[in-house]
Formats: sequence, structure tokens, C-alpha cells
Amino acid sequence: MVSDQRKSKGAFWALLGAVAVLGLIAIAYVAAKPKSRGITEVDLKADPSQARGYLLGDSTAPVQVREFADFECPACMQFATLTEPDVRKLIDLKKISFRFYDFPLGMHRNTWEASNAAACADEQGKFWPMHDALFAAQDQWNGEATRNPKSVLKGLAQQVGLDVAKWESCYDEQRYRSRIAANRAEGERIHIGSTPTFIIGNKMIPGALSSDEFIRYVNEATAAAGRK
Amino acid sequence: MLAALLALVGLLVATYLTLFKIGVIGELVCSIGSCETVQTSKWATFIGLPVAAWGIGFYVAVFAVSVALTTERWEAARGLQLGFLVLTAWGALFSLWLTYLELFVIHAICQWCVVSALLAVGLFIVAVMDWKTTWQEASVMTSES
Repeated sequence: MVSDQRKSKGAFWALLGAVAVLGLIAIAYVAAKPKSRGITEVDLKADPSQARGYLLGDSTAPVQVREFADFECPACMQFATLTEPDVRKLIDLKKISFRFYDFPLGMHRNTWEASNAAACADEQGKFWPMHDALFAAQDQWNGEATRNPKSVLKGLAQQVGLDVAKWESCYDEQRYRSRIAANRAEGERIHIGSTPTFIIGNKMIPGALSSDEFIRYVNEATAAAGRK
Repeated sequence: MLAALLALVGLLVATYLTLFKIGVIGELVCSIGSCETVQTSKWATFIGLPVAAWGIGFYVAVFAVSVALTTERWEAARGLQLGFLVLTAWGALFSLWLTYLELFVIHAICQWCVVSALLAVGLFIVAVMDWKTTWQEASVMTSES
């Protein structure tokens, strides 16, 4: 009896050990596997859309970067706050130009309002300060924080130095709705599946890139542009 | 013994989800109806730590207690069994609350979170069955004496 019990306990520990080892091997394999970002090539010459996005930098820079992003997406916020300061340095050095396209996702309740707020800031030449303010304050106006984001967005308009009355009339009539829709339609045309997604040179790369990754893709695109 | 096995599997799932949350595994992106949606929501953090990291703590505790309950020294300890019951009840309730949030607040389902919720509920059922068995054995012994 005692021997049987010992055997069954031995088998139990062996089973636990086997499950633990197999599980850890599986997790280590997934963690060590290089991230396949699902990079695809895009033919930018075949761009029939009217989408303009919002340009930062010199449009004749050797490498053109486009970002498709949703103001309410936490991953886009992470990119904007952690990586974008380094992106701005590349823009200042005229190595790249950067164009932001709205890609509001249906699952985010207030993202259209944020895109609307940013488009109306662009009317006064302050898209980028508003872009930065929106991401910095994302947790104050997003769908989890409020059902009525306008008062927070109005505060941001004031914070970035807009003529708030003008901004408000633009915001209320959704003056640039078609512009935002065109930006999104451009993303749909090239099959954007998630945000943020970047097009660097002719490569489409999804995910909140780190500074190192971003610079590596820019260097690759610069080298490819030099070969042409 | 079954509880220890379930807790071990839960520990592996929670480890995977924690590594996903902190960006070691997978991409940090927003897309529709996926683990990313759940993991990037505000509900994926609880008192400053990823919910999945709390899951690791929970499964480690359940694993330790369930292994202790298989040893001769602790198998009859009623206090420890009661602790096991309370611990797994808390785990099951918390998991059900998280599943409610996924379905009705975040409107997205993360399959690994569901696996963890099923394991937590399974652990609670095992704990209830163990408790009932011990209770019945105790009452038989009492009536025999």
C-alpha cells in the first residue's frame, strides 16, 4: 500500500515536472523568437487618394515616413511619448519627413472627437502641439474616462494657445470630418490592420516601434533610397 | 493533486500574459477584438501592477497550498483547507469579474484570459469537492467514535 502511494506520488511529481518544463520551453521559445512584425511592401506611387495627413518636416527629405494612428490607442500614445522625441530629431536633421494619418478605430469611443479636435487645431497651424497634448492627456478624455470629452479637449485647445472660440465652432460643426475620413480611407486602401502602423520608405511596419527600431528602419530606407 | 496541476498550468498562462503585457512577447498595437484590446485597456492593471502579474502571485499561492495538502503533515489540516477554499473562491470571483469586463465593458475577448478564468473556476470546484470529502470523513469519524 505504502509503496503504491509512493509510486503514485512519484508519478504525480513527474507529471508536474513535465508540464512545468514543457510550458517553460514553450514560453521561452515564443519570447526568444524574433518579433515578426508582418512587414509588407507598399506601392506608394499608386496612391489615388486625396488623403493628405498632417506633415511635419520637409516633404523633400530623403525618406518619407507615414504613421497611421488612433489618438485613443494606448500603443499609439506609447509611441508618441517614448519614441517620437527621437523621431523629431531626425526630422530636424532633415533625414525624414513625417506624416500623421488619422486611423480612428471603431472600438474607441472618443477617438473621432480627438481627431476632430486635432483637425481644428490644424486650421490654426497647431496640429502638432494639439497632437502632443492629446496623447499626453489621453487618460483624461478617452472612452474609459468620459462619455463627453469636449470639455477636456477644449482645455487642451486653450493649453496649446488656440483661439478657443474659433476652434470650438470648427469642432462643433465637424468642419474637417471628410479630411479625417479620407485619412482613414487611405489606411483601409493599403490594408492597415492595427495602430500604430508605419510606412517607412516602401515598407509597412505595424506596432509601437522603439527608437532603436525606428532608426534602423529609417537607415534601411535611406540606404535603399541611395541605391536608386 | 489535480489542484496542483491546474495551478501550475494557470501559472504558465499568467506568466505568458505578464510577458505579453510588458512587451517581451508579441506586439503592442491596437486592433479590433483581440488580446491586445484587453491588454491595453485600463482594466489590465490593478493597484499599479499588471493583472496577469497578480495572477502569477495567485497561482503560486494556490500551487504551494495544494502541494502542501498532498503531504502527510498537512493533508488533514482543516485551517489550511479552509484557506485553500477561500483563496480559490477569491480567484474564481475575480476571474468572473474580469470576464464580465471583457464581455460587457471592453467588448473584446482575450482567449488566454478565458483559459485562466476557466482554470480559476476549476480550482474552486476542486477545493469545494475536497472540502466536502474532508467534511464527510470527519462526520463519519465522529459518528463512529
